[in-house]
Amino acid sequence: MSASASLIAHTTKLDLVIRHVLAGLGHGIHAGRERGAGVEFSEYRAYAPGDEWRRVDWKLAARADRYFVREAERDSHVAVWLILDASASMAEPSRSIAGLDKLAYARTQLGCVAAIAQRQGDAFGLVVLSDGKVAFTPAARGPRQLQRVLAQLSKAEARGALPDAAALKASLHFAISPSAVYAASDLLDWPSPLSQALTRLRQMRHDVRVLGLQTQAEIDASFPDTQAYRDPEADEGVFRFGADLRDGYRQNREAHFATVTAQARQNDMPVTLAAIERAPGDVLRRWLRRPGGR
Amino acid sequence: MNNLWWFALPILLLPVWWHRRKRIENKAALMATARFLPRAEPRQTRVWRWSDPLLLLVRCLLLACLTAWLVNPVYSSRGDTVVVTQGTDAAWAERQAAEAGLAQADRVTLPGAQALGWVHAHEREWRAEARVLVLGDVPMPATRPLFGRQVEVRTQPAKVPNSEHHVFIASERAAEWRRMFAALDGPEKIVIDATPGAATSLIVWDRPGAPPASMKASLWLVTDARAFPELAKASKLGALHYADSARGRLWHHAAWPPRDADSARRLLDDWQQLHVGPRPYTLQSQVFAASKEADAPAPGGGLRDILLIALAALFVLERMLAHVRKGAQ
Repeated sequence: MSASASLIAHTTKLDLVIRHVLAGLGHGIHAGRERGAGVEFSEYRAYAPGDEWRRVDWKLAARADRYFVREAERDSHVAVWLILDASASMAEPSRSIAGLDKLAYARTQLGCVAAIAQRQGDAFGLVVLSDGKVAFTPAARGPRQLQRVLAQLSKAEARGALPDAAALKASLHFAISPSAVYAASDLLDWPSPLSQALTRLRQMRHDVRVLGLQTQAEIDASFPDTQAYRDPEADEGVFRFGADLRDGYRQNREAHFATVTAQARQNDMPVTLAAIERAPGDVLRRWLRRPGGR
Repeated sequence: MNNLWWFALPILLLPVWWHRRKRIENKAALMATARFLPRAEPRQTRVWRWSDPLLLLVRCLLLACLTAWLVNPVYSSRGDTVVVTQGTDAAWAERQAAEAGLAQADRVTLPGAQALGWVHAHEREWRAEARVLVLGDVPMPATRPLFGRQVEVRTQPAKVPNSEHHVFIASERAAEWRRMFAALDGPEKIVIDATPGAATSLIVWDRPGAPPASMKASLWLVTDARAFPELAKASKLGALHYADSARGRLWHHAAWPPRDADSARRLLDDWQQLHVGPRPYTLQSQVFAASKEADAPAPGGGLRDILLIALAALFVLERMLAHVRKGAQ
């Protein structure tokens, strides 16, 4: 049974949701551990909750009366970078599932990627873009890093606009080693400092994957017409929604996303568009699937 | 003056404006994709709609009630009325009311001294065509009363009850003093005591030498000023000396006991006026015509209490509704 989107709305415990989503995926998503544990011993480190028991050095435990984990030298130096767009527009709620919004959904998706990266032994880091600022968590391995990243994700609030191009460029110093970049956004601002940064990363031969989050109401253009609307990021007064405006809305929106996908394809940057009412496991599988291999 | 408060009624517009404004502010929800909407003025903000009509109604009522309470309006509800003073002969009162054609009218019973004042204070409460009749023993007021409506007064003087006053005479000329007291007519009756007691209110001291220290009365008539040292510094009123002492008030006159009828009458009148109190004097039966100069006092309408209760109830209701609405938002 795969976890449904309403699960995200019902709990604030991010690790719980992630565990549930990943359990629903089974083992299909894992490429298997890339390193043989303990093949090339590098160092011991203290046991932390979440470590696998079989990596505990039992002889050392008997001697020292403490648990130590054997750390192996990592063969691959691929780092995973998670980029979360937490601008004000990400607070857009689902109009059908109460309590669910784009930010919570993006949080879960990025948390799942982080958990998978941790299980595979990859280093992973986090970049949160919120309120014109960049919050940067350096890449590292291990369960503690997962806890750190999940804490940062939970702390993120949808506020303000994206940071400007200069601020974002200054934060992209991590992109030296080959890395996989996973960005979750609503892609409403395009071109934007975020799109420019992603394009630049792609041009530097990083593997960039973009998750564009939408709501079912946006796809169907089915907003209630009984109230007025405001744009959370631009103060342009109030808007009205009605049956007479539905076609115009749909056309504008489709034209926008056609541009987005076209530009992304041009840069060889796969974009996965997904509705937040869909099961998070399915969306995650689509997002992580290799672009070529169907 | 109170009626000026009616000009405060436009504050009713305040909650109206407030409720309408709230609607425009609150009802705009956030929509991330609002940028894809064609530019169009929101239609419903131009529609005159009410948010929370019940709460608005309660608030308007509250303000209207407060204004009315400040205005203190008078509800003219009284019809024909017969005001009967206390202690009036009921049969006489019925007869008089029937003569005036008010046998079926409402009856109000009041103390005689308050009857005219009460009618004046409440005269706006009667309907325009109502008639007011005051019956019984109405004392003569100090000034001629003015009413804004016609008021008929029919009086029957009540019998004044006799009062006893104990007098002790210490005099060699007791017969002369007795003769003077015997000349007193009216409801006051003089009792000559053989010995002074607690009830004795007047002592005639017509002897040389001081009286015993235990004798006390509210008034002493003294012929020999040397008997009382207080009289040395007495105030004078004509030939009469008066002073206060521990035994009571002292009056001294060199020519006592009075020799002629006039001086005896004067002494008795002074005593009656100053120590017994004036005799009641009843107003003559008459009809007071409506006077334009009558300034009816600020009406203390009975509506004020009702309005106050309504005000409290509305306030509680408003608080509850506001609380419920806050919880629902």
